[in-house]
Amino acid sequence: MAPALEARQIRMAHEGRVLLDGVSLVLERATVTTVQGASGSGKTTLLRILGQLDAPDAGEVLLDGAEVTALAPTAVRRRVALVAQAPAMFEGTVADNLATGLRLQGDSLPADEARRLLEQVGLDPAALGQDARGLSGGEKLRVAVARAMVLHPEVWLLDEPTAALDDDRAALIAGLLRGLVGAGAALLAVTHDARLVERLAGRMLRLEGGKLGPGGLR
Amino acid sequence: MSYVQVGLPQLLISLGLVAMALAISAQEKLGLERDLLVATLRSAIQLFAIGVVLTFLFQHERPGWVLALLGTMVVVAGWTAARRIEHGPGTAQLFPVATASVLIAGLVVLVPVFTFVIRPARWYEARLLVPISGMVLSSAMNGVALVLERIFASVHDDAPAVEQLLSLGATPAQAVARHTRAALNASLRPTINTMLTVGLVALPGMMTGQIVSGTDPGQAVRYQLVILYQLLAVSAVGGALAARFARRLSFDERQRLRTFSGRG
Repeated sequence: MAPALEARQIRMAHEGRVLLDGVSLVLERATVTTVQGASGSGKTTLLRILGQLDAPDAGEVLLDGAEVTALAPTAVRRRVALVAQAPAMFEGTVADNLATGLRLQGDSLPADEARRLLEQVGLDPAALGQDARGLSGGEKLRVAVARAMVLHPEVWLLDEPTAALDDDRAALIAGLLRGLVGAGAALLAVTHDARLVERLAGRMLRLEGGKLGPGGLR
Repeated sequence: MSYVQVGLPQLLISLGLVAMALAISAQEKLGLERDLLVATLRSAIQLFAIGVVLTFLFQHERPGWVLALLGTMVVVAGWTAARRIEHGPGTAQLFPVATASVLIAGLVVLVPVFTFVIRPARWYEARLLVPISGMVLSSAMNGVALVLERIFASVHDDAPAVEQLLSLGATPAQAVARHTRAALNASLRPTINTMLTVGLVALPGMMTGQIVSGTDPGQAVRYQLVILYQLLAVSAVGGALAARFARRLSFDERQRLRTFSGRG
């Protein structure tokens, strides 16, 4: 079976600086991969390329063995969830935010489904009617994860998911992410939070000088 | 027709009005003196020039000459609308797009009005076609410029949310729907406001001109209404076209949001 997501020889330079110098990466189903690296090392760029938000200078990305360029961009993005660092909330309530992915396809999200999602990410279902933009950083992150869960993505890409969280919240997020992997998803988190790397307990990689190599707990 | 002439000496006297603005700029340290002088000079040169061109056109009224003048107006309008769009792809890419928007919107509005409403004896009758086209094209220009400016700026400011919509499977049209709506809304607002207050405060330019030159106010009113409806339609059509072009320029072939740094 082809891996959930694969990157081959990704090259990317920005303003004359080589960020990714032939990066290859395989994300298997039901596995966790963490990528550590200094800020500015290209971690976010790698995620954005995998999530179809940036065009690499060279290299290819395969989703379930198929080159993404052969698939519709909207279809690829629905299958690959990208949760940005400090995710932006859309205008409206938490319920509106959760329903976005389905609304874009002309569907709606049943209220009991929305409540169940909020419980899964550790939020009070009473928050459904709240203005999403008034939430705290940690709550926004959890709403962002929940609103991507609606689409049942095969691959999860997360950028510094615990950056704005205290230790209790970070543990909760780590548990939530492990749950997604337990359900069969491939997950890639870029972070420089060693605690998160430890909690996710997957394969550890390090991005340095444009190359992806084995990493560890530092 | 009673018609009161303005002689050159009288025109020079009216320059005193510019002096008032200059004096206030100097006294309040606005630093606008240079701009005021340039604007005064340019407006005089441009209007005298178009006066000469119109006089020539009226004497040699040929379709080719009239079309050449209208074509120039379209290109200048497109160029003006494409300039200084921050966070856009630059004037070189925006110029064809803005010109096409102005041209198509202008045609869509002017052709039916001249065919069914004004019905001049000759379609290229410069006395009618040139001034009315000028008003319509300048309104198209303003609408297109505003829509381009607004869409690129708001999408730039809101890029994280736009990209997160893409990540949830949005098409480019869905991802910038809010920004497009806001820009089109803003481009129609001034014309709607004008229509709401017209006649209560200001008498619009064309109507004023016709009345000053002796036209029956009833006829002047009808002409003015036709003009207002045209301005509304041309802002809507030009803005909608510009919005589509802006959206196309904002995404690459894989529907990734393009980023444009600062000034084009």
